[in-house]
Amino acid sequence: MADILDILDIEQPGTAEITRDSILHGDKMKKKYVTAKAARRPEGMHREVFALLYNDNKDLPPLLPTDTGKAYKQTKAKLGMRKVRKWVWAPFTNPARKDNAVFYHWKRKTDESKEYPFAQFNKQVSIPSYSESEYNQYLKSEDWSQAETDHLMDLCQRFDLRFIVIHDRWDRAAFRDRSVEDLKERYYNICGILSKVKTNPWSNTVTMVNGEKRVYHYDAEHERKRKEQLRRLFDRTKEQIEEEQTLLAELKKIEARKRERERKTQDLQKLISRADGNSAAANQTAIANDGMNTPSTVSSSIARRHDRKLHKKKLASQQRPMRAIETVTVEWSGIKFPEARGTGVWLRSQRMKLPPGVGQRKTKAIEQELRLMNIDVAPTPTESICKHFNELRSDLALALDLKNALTSYEFELQALRHQYEALNPGKTLTIPPSICNTSAEADTKPLGEIIDVVGSPGSHNNTI
Amino acid sequence: MSGPNGMLYGGDEIGALVFDPGHHSLRVGYAQEDTPKADIPAVIGVGPATHIPDAEEKVPDGNITQSAAKTGNELRHYIDVTEIHVPRPGMEIQTYMKDGQVDNWDLFEKMLDYCYSKVIRSPSEHHPALFTEAVWTTRPAREKLAELLFEKYQAPAFFLVKNAVLAAFANGKSTALVLDAGASQTSAVPVIDGYAIVSAAVRSPLGGDHLAAQAKIMLNNMHIQMLPIYSIQSKEVIRERERAKYTLKNLPAGLTQSWQQYMLKRQYEDFCHCVAQVSENPYEERVAAAVPGVHHEFPGGYHQDFGPERFKLTECLFEQTMGAAQLVCSAAGACDADARPALWGGVVACGGLSALAGWPDRVARELAARAPSSHRLKTHAAPSPQERRFAAWLGGSILASIGSFQQMWISSQEYDEGGKGQLERKCP
Repeated sequence: MADILDILDIEQPGTAEITRDSILHGDKMKKKYVTAKAARRPEGMHREVFALLYNDNKDLPPLLPTDTGKAYKQTKAKLGMRKVRKWVWAPFTNPARKDNAVFYHWKRKTDESKEYPFAQFNKQVSIPSYSESEYNQYLKSEDWSQAETDHLMDLCQRFDLRFIVIHDRWDRAAFRDRSVEDLKERYYNICGILSKVKTNPWSNTVTMVNGEKRVYHYDAEHERKRKEQLRRLFDRTKEQIEEEQTLLAELKKIEARKRERERKTQDLQKLISRADGNSAAANQTAIANDGMNTPSTVSSSIARRHDRKLHKKKLASQQRPMRAIETVTVEWSGIKFPEARGTGVWLRSQRMKLPPGVGQRKTKAIEQELRLMNIDVAPTPTESICKHFNELRSDLALALDLKNALTSYEFELQALRHQYEALNPGKTLTIPPSICNTSAEADTKPLGEIIDVVGSPGSHNNTI
Repeated sequence: MSGPNGMLYGGDEIGALVFDPGHHSLRVGYAQEDTPKADIPAVIGVGPATHIPDAEEKVPDGNITQSAAKTGNELRHYIDVTEIHVPRPGMEIQTYMKDGQVDNWDLFEKMLDYCYSKVIRSPSEHHPALFTEAVWTTRPAREKLAELLFEKYQAPAFFLVKNAVLAAFANGKSTALVLDAGASQTSAVPVIDGYAIVSAAVRSPLGGDHLAAQAKIMLNNMHIQMLPIYSIQSKEVIRERERAKYTLKNLPAGLTQSWQQYMLKRQYEDFCHCVAQVSENPYEERVAAAVPGVHHEFPGGYHQDFGPERFKLTECLFEQTMGAAQLVCSAAGACDADARPALWGGVVACGGLSALAGWPDRVARELAARAPSSHRLKTHAAPSPQERRFAAWLGGSILASIGSFQQMWISSQEYDEGGKGQLERKCP
């Protein structure tokens, strides 16, 4: 117990007798005790680090910074060494005023009285002035009396050329009502004339460009027109604005539809040119074969004539870009059978083989048609049979394409008819028979008329 | 005023006073402060001075301005709430305002006397005075005011500004379309570059007074009696919608009709403040019923919840032909086409009525529905109701403390030289 108290440096209350000797030697004894315990500094340890751990009286370094003695004396506030500057309620005059009125405000007593600082903001627009003789000489106008002109110039000065305000404060009792444009026109007119006849330029209307005076020219007519347009734009009613927006949306829709149609027409045109090419070739062969008229050549020649007529019409009306479509080159028409190639011996039946470009479905369809016509799918390949059989199959392929196109347009026509009837209940859309193709008629109709379903603008207006 | 580096900022205070006379109250205070020193009801009680009831003795005599010595049948003028609200036999309530401008100059003089002696407590010859005025104030009224200030009050300087312009300034704009909903009327005034466009200003009589009148009609229809608060001696706590139990006070005989009317009007205004609310959309019974009601106790002790009625009450302010939104539309429409985009872009709502709960939102909504789509609409209303109420005064306080404004005052020298005729030129 006593050892622990010794270690913790706590004095034992009971045993400690206060004697003269203990008081005198108390310090010494303690010192002795401490020095006995003091450890030596290990090799390599810095002196400073060691001093932190062990100092002479073995006190731990303080956890909190302690006072250094002088602190309390220094806390006296040092708030600037100057004396407080005084404010005084002093009179001042404002050079921006013409009357030298004296007002009072707070200012530093020490501040020397200089010019009132806010006077520098006193800016004024320079307005041209004229004498009576000048007015009579240069500025006379049938429309404006001198009194009215004077009033205008006065207002311009007072309201710093804010013409809308000038128009508002215009003396309507004395002078007739004028529009903002009238006022501006007169003012700038006067400025222009005066700057020509007088030497001093008016800063706001005259600019010097390359040493040459340029007078601001006010285009009153243009301004009036602009203002009128602006007024109309702002005065639109809600219904008008809504209508405009719906119309714009409709226009967009129509344009999209038109583009779609043009794309389709172009596709169809390709098909037609293909048919034309085919029939031309057929014609030539027919002529060569001495008038072997097949119904297909007759129909196609009619179609061509019809087509040409149509083209003429379109060129005259210039409604649709058909010319571009006309010149489309056709790289493939019907089925192109490859010429016999390679050397050596080959079977003629090879010439009747469908080229690999023809799809499975088309091949099947052609075979079906052939079966309907009671033609052998693989006839004996004599020279002429071979040639005619190939031509026939090529025409069949084209006919199938056209038929497909027709049915799709027919379908579209019906769809549009239903749409029309849904939008206009009670009305029925009568499709003119010229464009109404039943599948029975389709074969006998000339091609051109079929194409007319999508081609001519007149028929379109019915469907929209 | 100016910084150490020679930069110029802030204003320059010259001890100016700002007066903003309105139909409901007169605001007065020093320029450069953010609230007026006093907001005094714009009415004056005029009664005989000889008959002084006992109750008055307790009131310090300082607030009473006398027109003459207390002899004979001389009249006494009672100004401010503490004086007016005391029941006095024979005291008539009179107002000096009419149609937005000062009409009864004798009474207005009494009011100014009171302002200088009891509110400002400083001689009038020390303070330049800035007054606000309605846009349609007539020339004789303006000149009369200038004359009064210079000749009777010896003001060193005087200036008059249109309150719409000041309201725009208070909202930090020099171009704005100011929609001022006051007590007697609502007006829409276009302000361009700090000038009010007088010819395009429009107004309608739908103001706070109209609302108070409607509240009276509504309560009558609901068979709720608005007892004057000064007549109640004591009341008992009762349950909701029960018959009120109260005892009446012994009032002096001979209370005038005008005074009773005035006191009741204050109570209806109070009722509107507490209960009335503007719905965001045009009134719809179903929507209004969904909002929780507001409880209100009347002076007699009767109390009940007000549900949809409080929304229905305010609908009278939004009639199609005279509503605030319509005013704004016609004011903007009357302006030059070049100025319209700027005006629509800065619609400023202010005035005492705009302190009504929900009013600014409703107006903003109606404007959005009516404003032409080619303009960007921006409706601006100061966030706190006080700022909206005192908008014109605040603008005056700002303007009169700007350094560059100090050249605009009409000084007494100028008045002596040029007379009152120059007022039209100097204060556009």
